[in-house]
Amino acid sequence: MSAVAEAIAEGRVGGRLWLYSNYHCNLRCTYCLTESAPGVARRALDPGKSLELAREARELGFTGVGITGGEPFLLDWMPELLAELAEILPVIVLSNATLFTGRRLAALEPLAALPIHIQISLDSAEPQANDEMRGPENFAKVVAAIPELVRLGIGVRIATTLEDPASHDPSELDRLCQLHRSLGVSDDDHVVRPIVRRGRAATSGLGVPAGFDELEPELTITADGAFGSPFGPTVRAGALDTDLLVTRTTSPLAVPAGALVRVAGGRDAGHDARLGIR
Amino acid sequence: MSRTRKVDAYSLTNVIVTPVDAAQAPLLARPHYRAQGTGPIVTSLAHVPEALEVTMPFIATVLGPSAIAARTKELVILRTSARLQCTYCVQTHSAVALDSNLSIAEVLALRGQASWQEAFAAEDERALLGWVDAVAGSVGAVPAVASAELREHFSEPEVVELTLLCAATVMLNRYCTALELPASAATLQRLASEGLR
Repeated sequence: MSAVAEAIAEGRVGGRLWLYSNYHCNLRCTYCLTESAPGVARRALDPGKSLELAREARELGFTGVGITGGEPFLLDWMPELLAELAEILPVIVLSNATLFTGRRLAALEPLAALPIHIQISLDSAEPQANDEMRGPENFAKVVAAIPELVRLGIGVRIATTLEDPASHDPSELDRLCQLHRSLGVSDDDHVVRPIVRRGRAATSGLGVPAGFDELEPELTITADGAFGSPFGPTVRAGALDTDLLVTRTTSPLAVPAGALVRVAGGRDAGHDARLGIR
Repeated sequence: MSRTRKVDAYSLTNVIVTPVDAAQAPLLARPHYRAQGTGPIVTSLAHVPEALEVTMPFIATVLGPSAIAARTKELVILRTSARLQCTYCVQTHSAVALDSNLSIAEVLALRGQASWQEAFAAEDERALLGWVDAVAGSVGAVPAVASAELREHFSEPEVVELTLLCAATVMLNRYCTALELPASAATLQRLASEGLR
């Protein structure tokens, strides 16, 4: 067993390889890690390279692939890429779910029954509270899209990002759970995590500070290099943060994977669990 | 994307590459940062941490303490840097040379501000400097006479180490010159106080 596979098997390094498909987005969320918004540079990962990385990841012992951005579904080729990735490793793709209408929704039909989950951001059961963070009409679009995805047979997870989950009004969270259940998403597929004070959240003074010690080591590939966490390649005031950069080399994947194991592999599994940022 | 950040005591105006400050130091680069200040070779290489991770130990091995005396090594480093006209390396290693028991007159000679043939009397050092001029001061084959004179005074392992030292210094000279890396304020003050600036 390779050092990478061993570190993954022992939980010292996360088993999911994250790929930043792009940085542009149709939203401008207040806590966005990457200052994504309409008009920002795409900095997209080539789909061919994404597939190559996924194959290398499988060989190295990774157990899954995650896609994030930006909004991945702004890329027309994303559904086709997801289907091909799912033949290599199980996939989770993070999305704001505001684009799942018409032809974009129809393009997702081939993904049904594949090992793919779409993780959708929904921060409140109250439209106003949700939309203050995520933009006008976000709530309405999300609650309309989720049943459509469920109807297609596509796995859906909901991610709720809160300023402070520990002190958040439990009744508000209850209402949110009732809502996601009514939309066809079970409690097992609902994650709640704090805002991470990086990127635009740092500019706005939101969330909890999180450095490498507070984050699960998960290899994350972007157009700018390999990072030690999907919370790593953040952007603040237009500049890429490099404090969680592992290597500029992204292929062969063994280079950044081996480097991440060297810097994180000595830590115990669960070392990062204090803040519950997963 | 770019962002200008100020780092430690180093002058960073008009830099070719923005230094990576300690707060932004990548994971592999962090062990190479020092609380009292980090030099521009590290803060520039930090942009490519996997290169930094292997380059700095290489530099430390080749330029640092070894079986060859520090004074001898500084003859090679400073003379090579002077021949390559690397401002950063000449300034930095003028100070290191003084700390390695070279006199101000010897440093001036190595920098080309006086004749080294007059400043150095020892046969082994004269052979070494003649060889450095042949290796670092021209291109193409090294004249056989220069290599032969070097071999008269140094063993095979020493010749290999000196050759690697000269070649590594050439690499650093071009790196520091191309990126216009600045010497530290402390180094410049030291040189000024010694009349070497």
